[in-house]
Amino acid sequence: MHTTDAIITCAALEKHYTRGGETVRVLESIDLSLDRGAFVALMGPSGSGKTTLLNLFAGIDRHTAGSLTVDGHDIAHLSRAALAAWRAACVGYIFQLYHLVPVLTAYENVELPLYLQPLSRRERHRRVSEALDSVGIADRYAHYPRQLSGGQEQRVAIARAIVTQPALLLADEPTGDLDRVAAAGVMDLLAHLHRDRGQTIVMVTHDPATAHHAQRTVFLEKGRLLETPEVRR
Amino acid sequence: MISRAALMGLVTLAWHGLVRRPTRSGLVVAGVTVAVFLFCTVDAMRTGVERATSRASQETALIVYRQNRFCPFTSALPQYYENAIRKIPGVVSVTPVKIVVSNCRASLDVVTFRGVPSEAFAKDHATHASSDAMANWLKRGDSALIGRELADRRRLKAGDRFTAAGVDAYVAGIMESDAPQDQSSAFVHLPFLQEQSKRGSTGGIVTQFDVRISDPTKLDEVALAIDAQFATDQTPTTTRAETAHVARAATDVIALIGFARLLGFAALAAVFALVANAIVLSMRSRQREVSVLQTLGFGGAHLATLVMVEAMLLGSVGGILGAGASYATVALARTAFTMEGVAIAVPPSIAIATLGLVIAITLSLAAGVVPALIAARQSIVAGFRS
Ligand SMILES: Nc1ncnc2c1ncn2[C@@H]1O[C@H](COP(=O)(O)OP(=O)(O)O)[C@@H](O)[C@H]1O
Ligand SMILES: [Mg+2]
Repeated sequence: MHTTDAIITCAALEKHYTRGGETVRVLESIDLSLDRGAFVALMGPSGSGKTTLLNLFAGIDRHTAGSLTVDGHDIAHLSRAALAAWRAACVGYIFQLYHLVPVLTAYENVELPLYLQPLSRRERHRRVSEALDSVGIADRYAHYPRQLSGGQEQRVAIARAIVTQPALLLADEPTGDLDRVAAAGVMDLLAHLHRDRGQTIVMVTHDPATAHHAQRTVFLEKGRLLETPEVRR
Repeated sequence: MISRAALMGLVTLAWHGLVRRPTRSGLVVAGVTVAVFLFCTVDAMRTGVERATSRASQETALIVYRQNRFCPFTSALPQYYENAIRKIPGVVSVTPVKIVVSNCRASLDVVTFRGVPSEAFAKDHATHASSDAMANWLKRGDSALIGRELADRRRLKAGDRFTAAGVDAYVAGIMESDAPQDQSSAFVHLPFLQEQSKRGSTGGIVTQFDVRISDPTKLDEVALAIDAQFATDQTPTTTRAETAHVARAATDVIALIGFARLLGFAALAAVFALVANAIVLSMRSRQREVSVLQTLGFGGAHLATLVMVEAMLLGSVGGILGAGASYATVALARTAFTMEGVAIAVPPSIAIATLGLVIAITLSLAAGVVPALIAARQSIVAGFRS
């Protein structure tokens, strides 16, 4: 059901870090186009630059050279403040370690990004409830993160990422810290979001079995895209 | 720049952060409370002293004391000076006063008996006591009218008997007067006190004369004229404005309060250090949380606001508790310093409580500025790697 226009386009994308006077080229000449509505898995060995690439897509890090367009925005030309506003509206991010705010309940964590939108209290409440229901956490609104299992924490984190209805959902090894059962639950949830809502998802993973849920897999090695064996389903 | 909804979210987040980390914020709030309490209480004392010792432009009260004597036990003047003083130009009234105190040194619980001429006193102070109380007082030779502050401190009411400084008196009533010297005194009939007091000669001897003059600009002139009148007498006098008389007696207390004030300021500096330290530590341990908020779309202005709101909450909760506790303590304790027979009341003051609160909030906000800027500029990726 997805259309074929690109949500992410990058050309000759480079990311360098300087460490102790030495330049480390973490990403080199990345040319890539990802379709709106796609579910893409990003694979590669540890240290190959997967997280870095995802962070560039999310607008939480800036590239060194090349061009990057996400959802129609040329990322390089947005100011810090404009980039933050763009993230609030367009990007949902799921972390391997959930990163819920420990002093907020599940409900309050999910409500947090909605404060950046011009919504009434009532509308906020409606959306938070809907998001928590859709990840199957409806009975744990008032629980603090420390009172939840890892799988439940990640579900709340997913609710927080989708509650703003972002154009782009990014996930960095979302099942990397979960046991098999919890991991399967989270993957089913992401697959369901993609299938039923047409949610665009880019997911970093180590695990080929996890990557199976995606329609397309992109491989990174030492900061470069591997032309083959890219898999399209 | 920041929408109302976002501000509301940040205030909620800051509030939950403080309330749900009770140990850490409790310690900071307790520190701020103690510091503001100290500052406000010392400032209330300073205000009391300032009010009692700085000459008002309309001041018309003089105290005539024995030259080179500094205590009611040793100041003895012949009562007949009264007539000579009355004849000095500018003098409106002269009241011979015999003072007996339970303690001559600086203290917080002194009873000061003032022996005064009965008829003149009853006329002058008719509005300060009920007519019943006044009639009662005039009827009995051993009766006393008690200042409100002293009555509260010793829990005295009309009909009681009480003994202090070797004087045993009957309480005829309570006197409501704004003058600090009145509030902490027990007024008795002059001859009664002269008889009761065993020190020195009795009849015809008083401690001081309270003089009222007509023209406040002539205060010094009249004082000099009075002292000149008795300069060659056996008992020469020193006459000062009432506020100057209090200030001289209170020299030690004034020095002490000056020092205590430094402590008050040090306490405020401690507020600053305390809040700054708490916020710096808190933000350092929350770099990842800051990065998460940034990822969700909160910008630099939002994060700076979050830190400032936290600082303000710490400062205002501590400030309200400290200033409130100080106000309540001063109001309930109704303290008065008394030394050498003069009293300085410490009044509760809303203005001082407000000042303490405003200073606490201002210092807390100042303490939050640098951590707020650091949070606003934090690199998201670096925060996640911390
Ligand atoms: N902020 C940074 N400063 C210096 N080096 C970094 C930074 N971020 C990532 N790197 C380096 O870039 C490389 C790729 O990191 P990353 O994208 O996290 O890899 P992956 O997610 O594929 O394991 C690693 O060698 C890492 O050390
Ligand atoms: Mg990674």
